[in-house]
Amino acid sequence: MKRIVSALLCLCLCLGLASCGQKPDAEGTKKLTIWHDKEDAVIEALSDYLSAAVPDLEITFEKKTSLTDSLKLVGNDPAAAPDLFIFAHDKIGVFAEMGILTPVTEFLEEDTLTDFLPMTLAAATYEDQVYQLPLYFETLLFMYNRRYMQDDEVPSTTEELLSYAQANTGRGRYGFVEQHSTAYYSAAWIHGFGGSIIDEDGVPFPDPQAVKDALAYHLKFVALMPGETEYNTVNTLFLEGKADATIGGPWLVPSARDAGIDLGIAPMPTVDETGKALAPYSGVQGIHVLRFAAEDKKEAVQELLTALTAPSVGIDLALASGCAPANALCYDDSRVAGDEFVQAMRTTAEIAVPMPNIPEMDVMWTVVGNLLTDVNLSGKDIDSSFSTAADKAKELIDAMK
Amino acid sequence: MKKRKAKNTAVSYLWSAPSLLLIALMVVFPILYTGYVSLTNMNVYHWFDFTIVGIDNYIRALFVFDSGFLTALLATLLWTVVNMAVQLVIAFVLASLLNNQKLRLRKLYKTLLMFPWAMPGYVSILLWKTGMFNTQFGLFNQWMEKAGFTAARWLSNDVSAFLCCTLVNLWLALPFMIMIMDGAMQSIDRSYFESALLDGANWLERTRFITIPAIRPIIAPAVIITIFTTFKQFDVVYLLTQQAGAKTGSGFHTILTYTYENAFVTNNYGYSSAISIIIFIMLIVFSAKYQLREEGDE
Amino acid sequence: MMGKKQKERLGLFFLNIFFITLCFLTLIPILYALSVSFSGQNGLLSSDFSFIPHDFTLDNYKEVFLGESIMTWFGNTVILAVTTVALSLTVAVPAAYCFSRRRFPGRKAILKCLVLLNAFPAILSMFAIYRLLRPLGLVNHRVGLILVYTGTMAVFSLWNTKGYFDTIPKEIEEAAHIDGASDLQVVIRIVMPLAKPSIIVTGLMVLIYVWNEYIYATTFLTGEGNYTLAAGLYALQATEMSGSWPVFSAASVTVSLPVLIIFFLCQKHMTSGLTTGGVKG
Repeated sequence: MKRIVSALLCLCLCLGLASCGQKPDAEGTKKLTIWHDKEDAVIEALSDYLSAAVPDLEITFEKKTSLTDSLKLVGNDPAAAPDLFIFAHDKIGVFAEMGILTPVTEFLEEDTLTDFLPMTLAAATYEDQVYQLPLYFETLLFMYNRRYMQDDEVPSTTEELLSYAQANTGRGRYGFVEQHSTAYYSAAWIHGFGGSIIDEDGVPFPDPQAVKDALAYHLKFVALMPGETEYNTVNTLFLEGKADATIGGPWLVPSARDAGIDLGIAPMPTVDETGKALAPYSGVQGIHVLRFAAEDKKEAVQELLTALTAPSVGIDLALASGCAPANALCYDDSRVAGDEFVQAMRTTAEIAVPMPNIPEMDVMWTVVGNLLTDVNLSGKDIDSSFSTAADKAKELIDAMK
Repeated sequence: MKKRKAKNTAVSYLWSAPSLLLIALMVVFPILYTGYVSLTNMNVYHWFDFTIVGIDNYIRALFVFDSGFLTALLATLLWTVVNMAVQLVIAFVLASLLNNQKLRLRKLYKTLLMFPWAMPGYVSILLWKTGMFNTQFGLFNQWMEKAGFTAARWLSNDVSAFLCCTLVNLWLALPFMIMIMDGAMQSIDRSYFESALLDGANWLERTRFITIPAIRPIIAPAVIITIFTTFKQFDVVYLLTQQAGAKTGSGFHTILTYTYENAFVTNNYGYSSAISIIIFIMLIVFSAKYQLREEGDE
Repeated sequence: MMGKKQKERLGLFFLNIFFITLCFLTLIPILYALSVSFSGQNGLLSSDFSFIPHDFTLDNYKEVFLGESIMTWFGNTVILAVTTVALSLTVAVPAAYCFSRRRFPGRKAILKCLVLLNAFPAILSMFAIYRLLRPLGLVNHRVGLILVYTGTMAVFSLWNTKGYFDTIPKEIEEAAHIDGASDLQVVIRIVMPLAKPSIIVTGLMVLIYVWNEYIYATTFLTGEGNYTLAAGLYALQATEMSGSWPVFSAASVTVSLPVLIIFFLCQKHMTSGLTTGGVKG
């Protein structure tokens, strides 16, 4: 009884607090808040561009560290959520199913997106709706240290890579390193063997044999790589000049330059058995509109999105921080065309597979991570590990509903 | 007389109200809310428009409690026992030694020993993982190589991962335990020791008949809370060995890292809540069985 | 033959050696961070490590104090920590005193339940707390975080102070009561000074919890200007893919120092008032 009384008392106290705690309801329809978790250089370039292109809008960029977790909490609450957010495309399915997103096509003229690279649009589309306006994308690249690997030594097939690695690994040096037991990196190998982690309909491992072949073949490389799969180890090995070649993202480029590495970029090697190139996942960074913002601030959002479709914003981003723009017209700019790394990503975009954006993918990261760990690090049998993983995938996908 | 008793009760509750209220809001309410969500179908497809589905989630949750879960549960029990035993012994010995009044630098030692606690947990774990245990660059392997041994993969098999996690967990948890024990020992009336010394009691006897009985009631709540924290340990094990994208190949799981991989990743909150509630009930049953409660009160 | 004094001195000597070794062993990971933070090379990982950095520099610390918003975060953390500690003690001490000294129906049951609450795996509590703070407008508001922190630590604070109150002999208070002091006076003048060590320990616990907490802080606070130190560091570590390890290490060491200084200063007050000639119970 006493506890009920105290609970009631507390409620009164809280309501009292609430009345003075409420944020002032600034209903400026020209004010837009954008959440992001990007580097400062990218946001600076964007905000400079926007203050010139749409001076009448008052745009606030807010850095949010646990962006997806926060959106899950506040997604349908205009008082706490942003109006738009910038994030990779792979959570589109989750947010769309949660019902907090509005397709960006509602704000754009019919053919505005025709100049965008098809890969980026495919990434932004979930169940036939485009939920993201792509800004730039990232793919993995084959990188090498010219001091150790000469341009004419660069392998064009995986067999050549294997023999190079065999010849140059040992005594604390590595011919080739990558984050071999993480799902994101291994996807390139699985795709190279014609398999995939999950298909559009949410079926895990549609071609089991391809995945097993990829795992078995990849194991030869794992034997020549360190027993750590995490980011820091692999990068440090490459940056310290202890590894001749690696597969890494564009985020490695600035640190490689700082480390004084003569960095070379080459196309992904092709798998001898299938004739297909290792096709990495790509991540498309773009802007998403929250549903309530679409209703309350339609015009402002429309103005903002239209401004962001212009090629010049992509050019600014490419020049400011070496991003590969999503709009194909940006590559006509001679300065962008002259950037070796941006061009390399542009080329890789032709073969890269956008990370699946369906909600089911969320559990596949864990499943594939465990599968790779079992096979590569714990030395378990491929067939049995695979069937465990396939069962687990089905079980977890069922558990989502 | 009856009236006075009622008044006494009312006054007691009034003074305790703010504390109990905050506990009700921030600790009890989340448990009740999780209980409520566990009866709904709150998941990615029904995020804001979820409805009550009864005990469906509990029925499905039983499937998570497979052999993998059982292994994780046993490992967690072992983990809790080992960690608590070592922690209590070391903390007790160090706190007694630090209570030597003639040790002039004891304040400095105490402060330095508190250092692991003064850093955010994820920073320390990161330091251990990349600075100490890393197979390529870790300090341990640099020393191993200098000493002429081959480099070891510290976190890659179950037993050594268990030991490494224990080491890090002790490193993180000991400062708190030392501080609690030290504080409790300060409260012992010196005159007890003096008379015991006069009676010719040696250190072991003084410890057994004075120190332990005296500090026991004071440290009991902290110890019980630590037992629960150890049992529910997630950060140390997850960040050292099971982090997505940085797994080390060890199969050592606590029940929480196990359920994280087998339920929480699904984004199905109804289902995950059901599992949380089941673990909660399980822990209460355990603690009832081992009579943790009795020690806590007087 | 060795005299008793010499024997004691030798014992102390070995005890000192023991603690110096122990401190060194304990601090290895931290010395590691310290060395990295003073080093000019950009690597937490490097193949030849020594505790004395190869090219000593203070640049990383300069960057911490000038470059990042550390001082803002520091200010935010201090405000949060001080308020939370004050609030925690204000609510815990009277409650602990009641539970220690008074006998009333429900007392035992509540005490037992409070301990058992710790058995709940709080991974999913975020949602419930959001549901609670949201209607009150306390999301992205310091008051909200202070309430969350105080509530989370309340069970520990209550139990810890209560356990200590139990050890203070009742006779002291009874004497004061006979002299005509009220309950409140007894608590403030007699019990509080006697319980100082445990109150300080409790306060320190709360302080360290707030100082190091980052999950609620990153989820409920928006914008780098509002971050606490732990949240800001977490953001540095989580988003900066090309992260500068020396700066991160320097920041980590900087974050820990205030806590250690406070701890060192508090120690003098952590000795009990019950040392000499207390009432024998």
